[in-house]
Amino acid sequence: MTAAVEFDSEAITHNRRSYGEPAMRCAATASAIVILLMLAALLVVLFAAAVPSMRRFGMEFLTTSAWRPNSLPVLKMDARGKPIRDRRTGMKVVDHYDPPRFGALAPVTGTAQTALIALIFAVPLSLGSALFLVRIAPLWLIMPVSFLIEFLAAIPSIAYGLWGMFVLGPWMGGPARWDRVAGLVPMPAGIESRLSGFFMRISGLHWLAEQQIGGKTVPIPTTGRDILVAGIVLGIMIIPIITAISRDVLRSVPPAQIEGTIALGATWWQSCREMLKYSRSALFGAIILGFARASGETMAVLMVMGSAATIAASPFTAGTTMASTLAGEFPEAATNDLHRGALMELALILLIMSLAFNIIARYLVVGKSARTSAAH
Amino acid sequence: MANIKIAQAKATSQIMYGVCTACAVLIVATLVLITGYLLIIGLHSLNWRFFVNLPQSDSPGMRNSIDGTIILVALASLAGIPIGMLAGVYLSEYEAKSVLAAPVRFVSDVLAGVPSIVVGILGYELIVVPAGSYSGWAGAAALAFIMVPIVARTTEEMLRLVPASYREASIALGATKAGTILRVVIPSATGSLVTGAMLAIARVAGETAPLLFTAVGSPYLVHNPSQPFPSLTLRIYELSNEPSPEAQSQAWTGILVLIALIFLVNLSVRYFTRQRK
Repeated sequence: MTAAVEFDSEAITHNRRSYGEPAMRCAATASAIVILLMLAALLVVLFAAAVPSMRRFGMEFLTTSAWRPNSLPVLKMDARGKPIRDRRTGMKVVDHYDPPRFGALAPVTGTAQTALIALIFAVPLSLGSALFLVRIAPLWLIMPVSFLIEFLAAIPSIAYGLWGMFVLGPWMGGPARWDRVAGLVPMPAGIESRLSGFFMRISGLHWLAEQQIGGKTVPIPTTGRDILVAGIVLGIMIIPIITAISRDVLRSVPPAQIEGTIALGATWWQSCREMLKYSRSALFGAIILGFARASGETMAVLMVMGSAATIAASPFTAGTTMASTLAGEFPEAATNDLHRGALMELALILLIMSLAFNIIARYLVVGKSARTSAAH
Repeated sequence: MANIKIAQAKATSQIMYGVCTACAVLIVATLVLITGYLLIIGLHSLNWRFFVNLPQSDSPGMRNSIDGTIILVALASLAGIPIGMLAGVYLSEYEAKSVLAAPVRFVSDVLAGVPSIVVGILGYELIVVPAGSYSGWAGAAALAFIMVPIVARTTEEMLRLVPASYREASIALGATKAGTILRVVIPSATGSLVTGAMLAIARVAGETAPLLFTAVGSPYLVHNPSQPFPSLTLRIYELSNEPSPEAQSQAWTGILVLIALIFLVNLSVRYFTRQRK
């Protein structure tokens, strides 16, 4: 865009009394300031509400995983470690009550686990189809495929949640047999039990599919309501963002770069690799945006696996994420200041994390693609 | 030796060509699978009663939730679109390079990525707690919060596409800056501004998380936004937690209606943009 010539419009109209001009300027400036205030409000309100929990737990909040909104009765034990019973009633005697405790480690781990699984699924598929759209697809195919991928982005998260909960979950977690996936196409169902069996056979990985119950090691039953399914649903949800941005990024690689490699005798894939290498920082930015989106997603995770506040090593167990803990527990925390404070601190961590990811991604992608903000 | 390497490279290339194509096919297949399932299951219990009956009726419908979503989105648009557009005007027309513009641009980019559940919590703290009750106002405010940065950024981008000569001509004819913006710049970008607004509407119509602690949902036909307010997404979420198959099939139908709504908005956006070209 050429630089606008500076006109002194006030000089032309100064003798015509005009209230429209300052009103318009004020309204526009005020709206711009509103945007700044919005971010300030987010930070201030969450911080203020998180203070009770910050005072109480300090840094421990980030390093512990106990999540207990209520006091826990601790029984009085005798010297041999057996609970003492009241002589009159025969009831076990409570020694003292452990106060409520909150630690964010479980939701933070769960968020990282689900978002990483999402990336494992989404990144290869997205980069592959971005390359398809830029280097393979004939002209007539680019428009409809792009439209479909953008339509995938427009489907609300609750639809993915419902689909993951009633279709993908039962299909993946069910017994290993042929079943109609999504009620339409017959495919081998029960992927989870196959995968779990595969992990069990490999000596380094068997812990992924096992749990300890009463001192015994038993395989984890696959339910389809676990971290793996939640991660895959998130993966499907972030495919459109990563694909759209990396398509735009790859498209902006100078043609001379590709022609040069081909002139030197590179094969199709070798020149593609050069393309990927050339735009690696922007592609990395796209992936970070996908990660940020996956880690902030609430409904799909909540519907697929609920919010069980435990750290799960295995992808076949239900965990929780920061966002789904917030959605699941917020209504019941209204009367408990400490619980509410802990949830607010969680929200603050989530907010700061997503701000950080978005800022990093913005610096990596900016200039390469104008669609960054629109792709959200 | 060299020949083997070349043959290897060629084979790898062929394989990767296939893999990339397979990726695109897989994504499209997933989409077809998901939407196909939604269509088939959703159409099952789709009939006119779904649109006119209340949840308490013998053949339950979602009249109140559909109304609720439309009202919530309308209220959110009333606040979110003007503020967003004015901020976009500020960024593009007034102080494109001032001290304020860079942070505003930056913040609106960053706000677009804030998890929507956090926005819901803000709405709860700022509106629900002081007012003492869940309300449609709080829900609409949370949705407006999500709309503002989206609209601001698209407005700025669209206004920047308007040639500078239009503005210069207008000012040369003696128009004020406000007059130039309102009568020249915005009218020549109407199509794309409508597109941006519609996309923001489509985006918030499908939001659930920001409404969980603000509008909360309601089984009744409520048109007063100062009460707990129903919405399609909240109703679908509620139904998904109920064990009965009837509730589930209603939830699917709700999703179908919601996606149809969003799809209509998207299609009309395409129609608008195509006419502009």
